[in-house]
Amino acid sequence: MVMPVKVGIPRTLLYYYYYPMWRVFLSELGAAVMLTAPSTKRVLDQGLKYAIDEICLPIKLTFGHVLELSGKVDYIFLPRLVSVANREYVCPKFMGLPDMVRHRLAGLPPLIDVAVNLRRSGMDIYPAVWAVGRFFSASRIHILKAYRRSVKIWERYSRLLERGLLPEDAMAVIEDRLEKVPLFLENKVCVALIGHPYNIYDSHISMNLIQRLRQMRVTVVTAENLSEKIINRNAARLPKRMYWTLGRRMIGAAFHYLAQNSIDGMIHVAAFGCGPDSMTGELIERQARHCGVPFLNLVLDEHTGEAGVATRLEAFLDMVRWRRDKGVAEGGSQ
Amino acid sequence: MKGYLGIDVGSVSTNIVFLDEDFVIRETVYLRTQGRPIEAVQGGLKEIAGRLPPGLTVRGVGTTGSGRHLAGVMVGADTVKNEITTHAMASSQLVPGVQTILEIGGQDSKMIILRNGVVSDFAMNTVCAAGTGSFLDQQAARLNIPIEEFGDIALNAEAPVRIAGRCAVFAESDMIHKQQMGCSLPDILAGLCEALVRNYLNNVGKGKEILPPAVFQGGVAANSGMRKAFEKALGLPVQVPPYYNVMGAVGAALLAGEAVYRAGPSRFKGFAVAEARFAAGSFECTGCANQCEVVQVTEEGVVIARWGDRCGKWSSAVNEQKKIG
Repeated sequence: MVMPVKVGIPRTLLYYYYYPMWRVFLSELGAAVMLTAPSTKRVLDQGLKYAIDEICLPIKLTFGHVLELSGKVDYIFLPRLVSVANREYVCPKFMGLPDMVRHRLAGLPPLIDVAVNLRRSGMDIYPAVWAVGRFFSASRIHILKAYRRSVKIWERYSRLLERGLLPEDAMAVIEDRLEKVPLFLENKVCVALIGHPYNIYDSHISMNLIQRLRQMRVTVVTAENLSEKIINRNAARLPKRMYWTLGRRMIGAAFHYLAQNSIDGMIHVAAFGCGPDSMTGELIERQARHCGVPFLNLVLDEHTGEAGVATRLEAFLDMVRWRRDKGVAEGGSQ
Repeated sequence: MKGYLGIDVGSVSTNIVFLDEDFVIRETVYLRTQGRPIEAVQGGLKEIAGRLPPGLTVRGVGTTGSGRHLAGVMVGADTVKNEITTHAMASSQLVPGVQTILEIGGQDSKMIILRNGVVSDFAMNTVCAAGTGSFLDQQAARLNIPIEEFGDIALNAEAPVRIAGRCAVFAESDMIHKQQMGCSLPDILAGLCEALVRNYLNNVGKGKEILPPAVFQGGVAANSGMRKAFEKALGLPVQVPPYYNVMGAVGAALLAGEAVYRAGPSRFKGFAVAEARFAAGSFECTGCANQCEVVQVTEEGVVIARWGDRCGKWSSAVNEQKKIG
């Protein structure tokens, strides 16, 4: 019997968008997929030790996750994501990630760092699919079948998100390991959480933000709960096209929730040192103020104290509830 | 007499207030925490109990400040609230119609914006404590002037000097430079106040709409030089309310009144806690790679609370009523 090729995937960055797809594609091709465990202090400490100083927190964390895979797998899946949408770019740090990792970390298993660049056309996904597939199979048909199946799963994942599930729950549904279905209680406070998926859904980086909010009887909605169509329509309200995919998603989602009047407050989470966040955050904050929706900006880095985050969060929810109880319907600052 | 206790355990000061049943402030105690929050709370309780008439009934207790959880389990609080909510609560009661709260304490500074009597926005300083009370304390000590006189000396300035306020370390070297150039002490102190105000407004006040009436509270509000610098920078009258340095405790007491109204009789353990033996310590949990630092509080050798663990296995192991507020 042939041992399957082991492929490691770090649980960071665009894992939250694409993992269901990557997992199915790789396993259909016969690979054994190994995902790193959720982030812990040790993983982050490792990352801080080896990553370059000037980089943002999520990239530092990625270094930690890559190190967790070292010595345990045959390949590390770390695609070079240049662009995932027409006329748009992903963060430049993602483009350089495989190089950063390769040059800072010695003795790693080979990286599958195939470039994905869909800036000109969505059809450009195929060269990337072949390039990844060739690591495992010589048959184009086999690769194409695996890809089609992975797209199907990804579409199902997107539908689950649009139904209000958050990524971890949606993935659990797909992998058939959901233990408890999150119930949506009516009449709870609803807060839109806007931020990069790899910041808000990583419970270590975000200091358990989503769980904390849920414990405080808050319904959390995010950009992932909206369809691309809604996001694009709202992002188009900017006077100039937003060409960062991640920024466009945050702006579009924030503008949608603010216009809908269905939320009681908005929390923007930014990673310290993230250039795009500093701009999109400001655009979102201005819009929130304009709409008179309570707004909290949380900036996270490796020095962020948990107490400070808890205090701000508590005060923010007090404010939201206080305003709701008094039935203050404000339009802008009066 | 019946009434409500409010306890604010901050990094620099511990304040305790007592409000009677009509929510009138009857007694206030302002103590230095001096890095020993347990002793400060006990000392404060002893002092306020001594000053109040005998036969006192405490109908509710609220705690706030960075030591609120610790104080909360010590005294058996009915509500444990963050300092932003308590400050807003107190000011909106004591200064009706207030729209802007400028608050500078020992280690933190915050700005709270109220509209129609409700908080509409707030901000708090992040990791950097430049421009807070501790820095003013330190500079006063370096110049060998009592902190109480700092403000009045600054008011005598003729031409405040320009000092870089972005960072306390730079501010200090700037001050030394100005001092060696021969600038007068009042001008330097006034310049420092202006620098701190500038830093506060640019940092904490970024993007906030500051409208009158504006109040200035927290320990630093005792410094008249700072108040003047605020008025100059904002172009607005800035008032310092009568209980400016215990506002957090007042807010906590008000919220305690609300909490017992909703949830029934108080959990206050009585003034005897001032005599009890409390101890707090911490250990690193080795259960997983998160290596949480777990804090444990004991009363007479019995564990009454634990916190700091991400998974909750230590904090939920305490079978006492653990979560308050």
